[in-house]
Amino acid sequence: MSSQPEHQNSNVSGETPTQVADPTQANEEMTVSEGGSELERSIGLVGGLSIGVGTMIGAGIFVFPGLAAGEAGPAAAGSFAIGAVIALLVALPASELATAMPKSGGGYYFISRALGALPGAVVGISIWMGLVFATAFYLVGFGNYAAAILAEVGLPVAGSSVVVSLALVFGVLLTALNLFGTENAAALQNYVVGVLLTLLVVFLSYGGLNAVGVFGAQTTPETFLPFGPMPMFTTAALVFTSYLGFAQVATVAGDIQNPGRNLPIAMIGSVLIVGLLYVATIFVATSAFDSLTLSRFGETAIVEVGRSFLGDWGALAILAAGLLATVSSANASILSTSRAVFALSKDALIPQFASRINLRYGTPHVALAMAGGPVLVLVALGEVEVLAEVASFLHLIMYGLMCVALIAMRRNEPAWYDPDFRVPAYPLIAGIGALASFSLIVFMQPLSRRIGVAIMLATVVWYKLYADDIQLKGVL
Amino acid sequence: MSDEVLPPAEGDLSIREPPLVLIPVAVLESQTVPESLVDFLAPANVVVLGYHVVPEQTPTEQASMQFEARAQAAVDDIAQNFSVAGREADTRVAFTHDRDKTIERVADEIGATAILLPNPVGGVDDVLVPIRGTFDVDRLADLVATVLADGSGAVTLWALSPEADSTEARQQADRAAETLVDRGLASDRIRTESTVVDAPVRAIVDRSPEFDIIVMGEGEQTILTGLLGDRAERIAEGAVAPVLVVRGRETD
Repeated sequence: MSSQPEHQNSNVSGETPTQVADPTQANEEMTVSEGGSELERSIGLVGGLSIGVGTMIGAGIFVFPGLAAGEAGPAAAGSFAIGAVIALLVALPASELATAMPKSGGGYYFISRALGALPGAVVGISIWMGLVFATAFYLVGFGNYAAAILAEVGLPVAGSSVVVSLALVFGVLLTALNLFGTENAAALQNYVVGVLLTLLVVFLSYGGLNAVGVFGAQTTPETFLPFGPMPMFTTAALVFTSYLGFAQVATVAGDIQNPGRNLPIAMIGSVLIVGLLYVATIFVATSAFDSLTLSRFGETAIVEVGRSFLGDWGALAILAAGLLATVSSANASILSTSRAVFALSKDALIPQFASRINLRYGTPHVALAMAGGPVLVLVALGEVEVLAEVASFLHLIMYGLMCVALIAMRRNEPAWYDPDFRVPAYPLIAGIGALASFSLIVFMQPLSRRIGVAIMLATVVWYKLYADDIQLKGVL
Repeated sequence: MSDEVLPPAEGDLSIREPPLVLIPVAVLESQTVPESLVDFLAPANVVVLGYHVVPEQTPTEQASMQFEARAQAAVDDIAQNFSVAGREADTRVAFTHDRDKTIERVADEIGATAILLPNPVGGVDDVLVPIRGTFDVDRLADLVATVLADGSGAVTLWALSPEADSTEARQQADRAAETLVDRGLASDRIRTESTVVDAPVRAIVDRSPEFDIIVMGEGEQTILTGLLGDRAERIAEGAVAPVLVVRGRETD
């Protein structure tokens, strides 16, 4: 079994990539599988937007303002703007690729088909890990908010052990919910995101008016770049985690209605929506407090901003919103992880038992366990900034390679390549997108980079040992 | 009423539009179509839709990878039963997060005149047609006349009026009876009744044990009732008999 003749297109267990459905055999409402079954597309534009916005909004507003302002001062708003521009430069190529290949798996799928199995395996396994780091990061954020709520209502809690315990408990709960829950979670997610957006717009409008002096409060208490321009870029690398959601829209591409229209709108639209909200949040936060104070408040700094506007009532409202936001981010990420695992196992890059579904609950229990399990380990470590940066690192590699994949596809278009959405001036946009994605990595802490590189090397070793023979380039 | 005359589907009945029944079956939940129902429906054109609903956290592609062969085998078994009863049924298999959307899409694609909401049933002879408000009398008559043509069962047209002085439902029932006779059904197999009720769903469910199958219109479409009409679904859930929902004509 271990020594294969050349190009059997199978892994060491003898499994070959499974072709379930040709993505070009898709219309607006369904895809026809190889076996002639119909795969219904049931996620609409609102659902797609809510996956994108719901994943992203947790971090940028409810975790980062304190950390980011501590490092870059009011220029953290610039950091978020830089992040939004880079996200857009990647979202455009990702949209084109997704409309050409509307399949579950997202970035991994595009890269493996455009660049081959090795880059595919590296990105696919890395993004699984990247999503695990991101989920852990959201859960620690949740723990902070839950602990703050307990403190707010007068329960004597203190220390990071409480935060980590709450995050762990909730991580187990979310995983279990996805394993056994058959309720319509997507509709709930839509409502959560709707409530959140409403709350934030009201809060930010009030804060914005306040900052420009409408209510007679103080103006911005410090200069825009208190620490010089460099921290603005390093902070952009840190907060880029806040933009990791738009590519998650592509992981449900196989289930989205009218993908040619809805995928690009959902991806680009969600980046624009959250980018605007992030910049406004930093502006409001740094207007209310100086960056040193914000930094001391830590992960729940935005709560203190709420308190400064509306007292304890405002603090509680923001706490509740933060709780919902981190939950929706963590949940969406666990689901994306499970889809990433499925895409890999379908192509035999990891054992195919990973995509097993149990008939009773209809849920992918192995893939969900492969998401939830490692998340809990990382949560126990509780290192928020490292978690966020490693997640960003691994996503940025994928984003950069997605841009490269677009260029590769366009320069040598296969006969089946027929995207509904084409990026204008693609060499320019995809080129800058790739460059920007890779250069953000340069600004990260050395520890995060080392962990990221180690994970990628491990994926190369895995590929060489397990699935060296798999052919994916150009194969649909 | 439409002027075009389509060729008759079966025998020499004056069927205007050969009825096409969509039979959605939750194949992986061991749902099936009782043999007596197969025999009853075999005179009509039939499409068997085997569907499997997966939760949102599962890609439909992933479900089909694992369950496609089983689902198709189960659907083929049902088609085989129809084949034995003399009807070549078309089959479809679908994996979905949203059962109603899938059934509606397939019904639109094939131009189904009626959708079956299955329930366990013994022998199928007697048909109950509860009538409330307006519905597509021609389609209903085509369907009922086709499936009853070779059997011995009777059809009861039951007008349900909200108030004693409202005559709309009764007039509809009388028209349906006439149309059935036009379609070739013997008049001694048609019975017409009229009742004043407040809660028609309850009344229909309560009466369902007297009959073998319920045939009804999908009712007026509102945002709330959605696809099959809330009412038909509720009746199918409560009743002991299967329900055939006659779809309104697509507006073209």
